[in-house]
Amino acid sequence: MSTQAAPDPTLDAERDEPPFPPAVVEELMKLFVKGVRAHQLYLHNNPIYLRAIELLGEGLAAVWQHADELALTFTESEIRFHNRAVLTEPAKSADSLPWLFFKDGIREVRIIRGFEEEELVKLLDVVQRARKATPDDDDLLTMLWEQDFVYLRYRFVDLAMESAPPLLDTTPAEMRPSAEAAPEHIQESVASDTRPGVVSLDDFDTTLYFLDDKEIDYLREGVKNEYARDLRPSVLSVLLDIFEAQWDVAVRDEICDILDGFILHLLSASQFRAVAYLLREVGVTLGRAKEVKPEQRAKLEALPTRLSAPEALSQLLESLEESSELPPQADLTELFEQLRPAALTTVFAWLARLQNPQLKPLLEAAAARLASQNTSELVKLIASPNELVSGEAIRRAGGLKTAAAVAPLAAIMTDGAQPLRLLAVQALNEIASPGALQVLEKSIDDPDREVRVATLRAIAARAYKPALPRVDSAVKGKRSRDVDLTEKMALFEAFGALAGDAGVAVLEGMLTGKGFLGKREDPELRACAAMALGRIGGTRANEVLRKASTDNEKEVLVRNAINRALRAPSA
Amino acid sequence: MTAPTRQQRPGGNEAFGEMGGDSYVRRAGKVYVLALYGALRSIKMYPVENAAVQKALAELVNVTGDLMKREAELEIKVSGEFIFVNSTRLRLDLDNYASFSHLLSLFRANGVGVLRVHGTPSARDWLTFLSLMQAPSKESASQRLLQLTGKLEGAKILNFELGAANETEEEESREKVKEVAKRTYSQSVAVTKELVHSVRVGRSPNIKKIKRVVQTIVDQILNEETSLMGLTTIRDYDEYTFTHSVNVCIFSVALGRRLGLTKLQLYDLGLAALFHDIGKSRVAVDVLNKASGLTDDEWRQIAAHPWLGTLTLFHMRGQQELPYRAMVVAYEHHMKTDQTGYPRPIRKRDMSIFSKVVAVADGFDAATSRRAYQTDPLSPAAVLQEMRDNPRRGMDPVVVKAFINLLGVYPVGTLVVLDTFELAIVHQANPIAELISRPIVRIVSDVRGNVIYPGELVDLAVRDASGERFARTIIKTENPDRYGIRISDYFA
Repeated sequence: MSTQAAPDPTLDAERDEPPFPPAVVEELMKLFVKGVRAHQLYLHNNPIYLRAIELLGEGLAAVWQHADELALTFTESEIRFHNRAVLTEPAKSADSLPWLFFKDGIREVRIIRGFEEEELVKLLDVVQRARKATPDDDDLLTMLWEQDFVYLRYRFVDLAMESAPPLLDTTPAEMRPSAEAAPEHIQESVASDTRPGVVSLDDFDTTLYFLDDKEIDYLREGVKNEYARDLRPSVLSVLLDIFEAQWDVAVRDEICDILDGFILHLLSASQFRAVAYLLREVGVTLGRAKEVKPEQRAKLEALPTRLSAPEALSQLLESLEESSELPPQADLTELFEQLRPAALTTVFAWLARLQNPQLKPLLEAAAARLASQNTSELVKLIASPNELVSGEAIRRAGGLKTAAAVAPLAAIMTDGAQPLRLLAVQALNEIASPGALQVLEKSIDDPDREVRVATLRAIAARAYKPALPRVDSAVKGKRSRDVDLTEKMALFEAFGALAGDAGVAVLEGMLTGKGFLGKREDPELRACAAMALGRIGGTRANEVLRKASTDNEKEVLVRNAINRALRAPSA
Repeated sequence: MTAPTRQQRPGGNEAFGEMGGDSYVRRAGKVYVLALYGALRSIKMYPVENAAVQKALAELVNVTGDLMKREAELEIKVSGEFIFVNSTRLRLDLDNYASFSHLLSLFRANGVGVLRVHGTPSARDWLTFLSLMQAPSKESASQRLLQLTGKLEGAKILNFELGAANETEEEESREKVKEVAKRTYSQSVAVTKELVHSVRVGRSPNIKKIKRVVQTIVDQILNEETSLMGLTTIRDYDEYTFTHSVNVCIFSVALGRRLGLTKLQLYDLGLAALFHDIGKSRVAVDVLNKASGLTDDEWRQIAAHPWLGTLTLFHMRGQQELPYRAMVVAYEHHMKTDQTGYPRPIRKRDMSIFSKVVAVADGFDAATSRRAYQTDPLSPAAVLQEMRDNPRRGMDPVVVKAFINLLGVYPVGTLVVLDTFELAIVHQANPIAELISRPIVRIVSDVRGNVIYPGELVDLAVRDASGERFARTIIKTENPDRYGIRISDYFA
């Protein structure tokens, strides 16, 4: 704790002769400087840091061998012990310990035995904060005051305080006889007085003033709630209430200006819930407030638009990306719900390039909410020239089964890049409307293998029969022989799913038939045919498979496929 | 440098003021006082063989043992309204003030200033000692101390060393504290004046100064609240705007302390209280000081000060964080608990407990102060009564109750008439809660009816020679103007 008293001159005289060698204190100061540096540079579980603290404790222990407390005085460039410099740092900067203390008015610090146990690290922390402090931050005095040190005391000169004028004229009242104060007058006054404002003893039952348990709990709860609640929405509601209740143009202008700056303040402090509250309530306010000037209305309405703009939103996302402590999901979602549809472009672009693994799911969820509320913007973004944005929009459109997205997805299937076409296949499959499947069917013939495979699998999964002619032609044609095994499997799976019993004959021919010179089809093709039969299932298909299985098949690939197909549940 | 004695350990060196922080001694001391109180109560209520008595004594023996093990010695000192354990002053809060009050009154009644415990007293030793302390007696405090010491020696109980209160030391300490309080008060008023002036001329006020003022007030209240509370009686007519804010800050912090707020919470509350009327800096001075009735427009200007306060606080630079709590309190301090009053909120609000505290402190100081439009203020006691009884004031009844508990039925600065037909000014609420209507007063008239200065301090809880009646009792409160008494003379 602190006092403002000037140092006692008798103590100074006494201090001329140090009671123990100043070298002990000099050593302690060196260790303190190292401790401060270690506190700043290392994590607190780092061995170097732990060693520095240990050494500092040893330095203090060396002092305690001579005394129970250590008084140090501060000048601009020195820390002194009994008028001897024990640390000299001439620079007048925050890096200089003497200056750091001196500039904020601290002139003497006393460290008491026991300090090293609980308060040493707190002091190191304060010093570090004070070094980094900007002029607007608290000064060292306030920081020390807040820490409520028990084993560290300090004297300071309060540079902020000027000499205050004395209190009222404190000249003692004269010993003056007062006619009114004479006992007989007092008695008279007691007997006759019924003036208002005079309280009778009977008015107060003293037992009333003990707080009972319920009342104590009530007050305690009040304090607990005071510190549990977020005051920012409360202050925002004050501002918006004033805006609604006061029609004065200047007052409303002032509030608009405050809100303008306040939103930035809240964002930089990651107070997303408060920002969401502000954006939401601004809308409510504008709906209720009377005689709002157009410029004021425009200014308030612009708040969510401004925040949704790419530059502002990018800043927000960048700060989140770099933040080690992320906001709760609910806060972020609440904020995103208040953003304008235009925000989707920026969010989608960032989602694709996020590095922070903790942030990704948070932003995904928030983006999902935003997208679901703004499907028309989402659909527009499918055509975005930015592939990251377009891809994210396609993905979201599929996830949300947005039927309106089919047309732009069709355009992607025609002109889009391969990765986008691949995403579009998935989205069309998820949308699964007749229109979507119709678009999907065309990509059976896509130039890209992955797109074709994905399409065939989707069509098989959906059992989209209108696609049969296209699949049928691919199976029977040259394509089924030219493509790799994966695509072949997808093609035959789709064929099996769509053709049903009508496809058994074709597949039987491929599996068991012999061509010119008794040559059988390629084993991969035969294995795929077996799989397709398995997919069809039923009596006829199984008959073909059983027959093939007793046929002393030599090809392992085919034999395995037949066995698997026989075991597989029919489609 | 010489090694300090135990008395110079944290908290004991007045030159360095009150130490904050929940040190081991402070925490253990609280537990110790509660154990002592528990044992005293159970001994008083039950026969010795009762399990409750045995349990309470066992607890006391344990707690004593723990403290002795860690500290190697145990000393309880009573000074003024404070209890020190091993020179560390214990903090009063909601859940321990009954035990504090009881111990204080018991120590005082027995003339005990210091109790030093040696070795490890047994449950039986404690039982004997505490029973002797609570035994009824008509002797004076100093005689009781002698008797008590003699009886302990007779019973061969040597674990307890009793010492009388050092009145000279206490008086010197009181004077010193009073001086510090005066300096704190005058600095606070000066800084508040500068703050209001800065806002009026559109300049950024020096926030660091304001913070320092509040920190000093918090320290002062935690250390010794009586002196600073006494200075609130100054209520200077010309400086009302500034002294009022400082007074509300002092009352709020003192009340907050009773509510068990931590030091940093008291700081928050104090800052909010000091700023509560900052909106008035944007109201025309002639409207603020108008003695006659206000026009509708002038009233609107006055009633705007709560929300103007919130707006003003947004413009205060030089802060790491905006003072949200102060903004809320500035806005709500004239709001009633049912959210009528002014301003009327449009959105439903959960009123802050800090606003409720400041509302009570504000209402009390405003109603007891002389202002341009209030030349004949009510007596403090009448104001408390009104706050308690008039629901239309819309104050939180529990907070009002706690406030009365803080100030006493007769608040500091009240002029009272005693049954001896002496005039007296209430100096300090009685620290013993049961004696709320028996404050410590300063007698300000002599037997011939002369107003005297500085007058003698007397405790209205003191009984006459027979021990059956109180020596002096308040009959009524009085208007100091009637006797030409300026209350602040006796505090400043």
